[in-house]
Amino acid sequence: MLRFDRRLALHFDWLLLLTVLVVIAMSLANLYSASYAGYPGTPPYIKQGYYYLVGFCLILAIISVDYHVLLRVNYPIYVAVIVLLIIAVVFGKTTAGAQRWIDFGFVKLQPSELAKLSVVVTFASYYCRKDTGKGFSLADLVPPALLLLVPVGLIIKQPDLGTALMLVFVFASMTLFVKIRMGTIILLVVFGLAVAPMAWKYGLKPYQRQRVETLLNPEGDPLGSGYHIMQSKIAVGSGQVLGKGYLAGTQVHLDFLPERHTDFAFSVLAEEWGFVGSVVFLACYFFMVFLGLSVAAVARDKFGVLLAFGVSALLFWQAFVNVAMVLGLLPVVGMPLPLFSYGGSSLLTNLAGVGILFNVRMRRFRAGSKS
Amino acid sequence: MRQVISRIEQVNEAELLILKKRVRFATIALLAFAAIIGIRLWYLQIIKGDDFFKSSENNRLRLHWVNAPRGMIADRLGRPLIANRPYFNVTLAREDAPNPAQVLSRLSTLLAVDVNDLLDRIREAEDYPRYVPITLKEDLDWKTLVAVENHLYDLPGIRVEVQASREYLYENLGSHLFGYLGRINEKELNEFEGEYHLNDQIGKLGLERIYETELRGEPGRRYVEVDAQGFEQREVSVLQPLPGADIKLTIDRDLQEVAEEVLDGRAGAAVMMEVNTGRLLAVVSSPPLELNEFVGGISRKAWKDMLENPLKPFINKPIQGQYPPGSTYKMSVALAGLSEGVVTNDTTFYCNGAMRFRGRNYRCWKKNGHGAVSLERALAESCDVYFYSVGMKVGVDKLAEYAKSLGLGEPTGVNLEHEKAGIIPSIAWKKKRYGQPWHEGETMSISIGQGYDSATPLQICQMTSTLVNGGIRYRPQLIEEIVDSDGKVLKTFEPIVDGHALGNAKSLDLIRKGMESAVNTPRGTSTVAKLPTILVGAKTGTAQVVRVEQYKHLKEEDIPYKYRDHAWFTCYAPAEKPEIAITVIVEHGLHGATGAGPVARKLLDYYFKEVKPRKKDTENDHVAI
Repeated sequence: MLRFDRRLALHFDWLLLLTVLVVIAMSLANLYSASYAGYPGTPPYIKQGYYYLVGFCLILAIISVDYHVLLRVNYPIYVAVIVLLIIAVVFGKTTAGAQRWIDFGFVKLQPSELAKLSVVVTFASYYCRKDTGKGFSLADLVPPALLLLVPVGLIIKQPDLGTALMLVFVFASMTLFVKIRMGTIILLVVFGLAVAPMAWKYGLKPYQRQRVETLLNPEGDPLGSGYHIMQSKIAVGSGQVLGKGYLAGTQVHLDFLPERHTDFAFSVLAEEWGFVGSVVFLACYFFMVFLGLSVAAVARDKFGVLLAFGVSALLFWQAFVNVAMVLGLLPVVGMPLPLFSYGGSSLLTNLAGVGILFNVRMRRFRAGSKS
Repeated sequence: MRQVISRIEQVNEAELLILKKRVRFATIALLAFAAIIGIRLWYLQIIKGDDFFKSSENNRLRLHWVNAPRGMIADRLGRPLIANRPYFNVTLAREDAPNPAQVLSRLSTLLAVDVNDLLDRIREAEDYPRYVPITLKEDLDWKTLVAVENHLYDLPGIRVEVQASREYLYENLGSHLFGYLGRINEKELNEFEGEYHLNDQIGKLGLERIYETELRGEPGRRYVEVDAQGFEQREVSVLQPLPGADIKLTIDRDLQEVAEEVLDGRAGAAVMMEVNTGRLLAVVSSPPLELNEFVGGISRKAWKDMLENPLKPFINKPIQGQYPPGSTYKMSVALAGLSEGVVTNDTTFYCNGAMRFRGRNYRCWKKNGHGAVSLERALAESCDVYFYSVGMKVGVDKLAEYAKSLGLGEPTGVNLEHEKAGIIPSIAWKKKRYGQPWHEGETMSISIGQGYDSATPLQICQMTSTLVNGGIRYRPQLIEEIVDSDGKVLKTFEPIVDGHALGNAKSLDLIRKGMESAVNTPRGTSTVAKLPTILVGAKTGTAQVVRVEQYKHLKEEDIPYKYRDHAWFTCYAPAEKPEIAITVIVEHGLHGATGAGPVARKLLDYYFKEVKPRKKDTENDHVAI
């Protein structure tokens, strides 16, 4: 059945692995700092370490199977994720006012995280099967839009605006990538502008609107929803050029920075390592995305290109939204920094994505075509 | 599967190439977004880095002012009268209390204080930064302190802070001199911009106020690191406070105590002065202020009680009580008469109990009259007719000149606030004050210290000193020296001569003679001050309060308290070589000799029995060394 092909190893992307390992190492060091004092129970960096181990097993499992399998199981995966999302909404564990978790006892699963990767796989398969040469018309976009709206709707219901937006971003990136007619783009932009005020008024919950308003004027409400942004900006800014030193970030260690091991993990890094450390980290990070794009550029077939591009877009958008939020450029939405923030579901999803990148890259040449 | 794959394999190679090319655009987009992040990082960390660094320090560091131990106030022998002790106060930092209403209602139960009182304290401080702790209750007792400490973790934002405040070692002794401390108010905060802080204590009255700067010292600073809940993590840096300077008074604790004891809460005043230096040995205003009521903020009720007390504890009577000097003024009239050559020692006037002037009878206090009286007898027996006569001959303006040379009619300049001037009338004064000419009959009244005349007890004491020390008018002094916490003398107060009595030494000697006779002749008015071994000179006085016809024929004891005359007594000793002068007034005490005399006598007695020998002892010690 599975015969080991020497070329698989030959075409393994060692540089991507190295980059990912560097990011992970930074993540663990940072988590250690973000929670090193007085954290009850198993410290997050230890738990995160276990998740990394599980994640690498997952990668091994993924690369051992040809990614084309996904073409057959993409819809079952899609349906399964939808079912999990429904379960989360109906029976999910409420945390901080949002039903995002399904508690399996031994592990808590966040189906919205799985939905991100499922969207990538779904649309890679969908667009792969379509002839996209001439570019999509508006009518061509209706079926994939419906495929998107089901999970987006369920995720908004949780509510988890950040993840829902992420699905939209990934979908939009992939659709633009496979080409849309210019007329359609213009039509969509006009429609979007027309709908935006309605969405603002009826689509968003008051607290979500407030977060956007807060972004525009964080000082207006320093103890309310502006607190996160202010404290995060203070943490990042006070890092200055070289940072306050590892484990010496005062914003972190004196609890001024909330959610510092999850969504605001990057603030910790920026405070302790300064501009230099932040740039080095982000360079590694964006290099990783760049390597993902290179996988797309060298993939053997359209499905491979679309998968690699989709995974890269997913990694990129999550990172961009998270960092922009931490830096006060975007409103505060729940959005972890992939492979960096604490959180099992997010980590496993993104590592699975990285596994897909390895897989596509390894199979530039058809496995077993000639022996 | 193979089918699917093979179908996809057949995808137009051109389409695949186009897609792959498009990856380049994606890469460019990636770089563009990375640049946005990079620029933002540059802006936050490099351009605004300093500001944010300061913000992060402000987040983490709280500045606590540490009040310096306040200087002590001690008597002339260095015996402390006012020291400090720690008071435990409850404070609230609003920043750290997400739900102050809840915290306050819990706290009000623990403190047994009405929650509205606590809210009032917070409203007062509304304009201050939210991290500034507001004192909610001062001086917790031990039980309450323990209860609050035990609940601190349910009371976010609440802390117990220690503050040193006054401890009055002799209760209310010298209360009017020292004044008291109180929580700084809005006006004072603005006045000392930046030097004081909300909740600070500041001298409100008396020496505590006048020497606030010296007594206060310099507050220290503590920078502490706090976490987001405001709990202290560690001390980052400390600047120790500089303790306040001690004030050494000229007051002798024992004499002050004796005077207060003898006055026993009656409304009045007692002043004791060294005649040759102006140093004050005792300055009593009675009744005293209840100093302990002021510690930790006086309650509305206690304040009201003090304000409404008919004995007027808030008036500092030695310097603010203005009473007609009565017969104590006769020395001044005598000085004017002798010095102006109107009378000599041998001049006599005949007293038949009254003097008639322009159809009106001006009475002598002795209904049947003194007969022919000379100066010495006139002073000793306080004959009014004699002084009517002298006064009329000298005239109002000359009388005023002499009185002013003795320090009357002007504040003495003692180091206390709100001292009153008293009144010594002149023709010009009346013109200016009432726009009316002087009536000669008025000269009669003022010649015996009634009418427009008024003086403070301190002035009368200064006058007595000046008359008996050869005519040198020393400024009354309260403070001997100010000593810093290391024992270094910052300031020494030397005697200050403010002027000289008009007239000659001979006149002064004759007046002293008259005052001696007042004590030592059988018919003298001041025999109460007679001591077995020490020769004393004295003069009584009666300050008429009001002439109410309906009480005229009553026995004095039956006149309602508030219409009774004030009793003066002023004296000096030893007569041969005067050292001290004592002036006492007892409000509504009726007669100088009976109302005020015993207080003066007690002080004289104590001074010569206890204080003076003690002084000699220490002098001998010095010689022995």
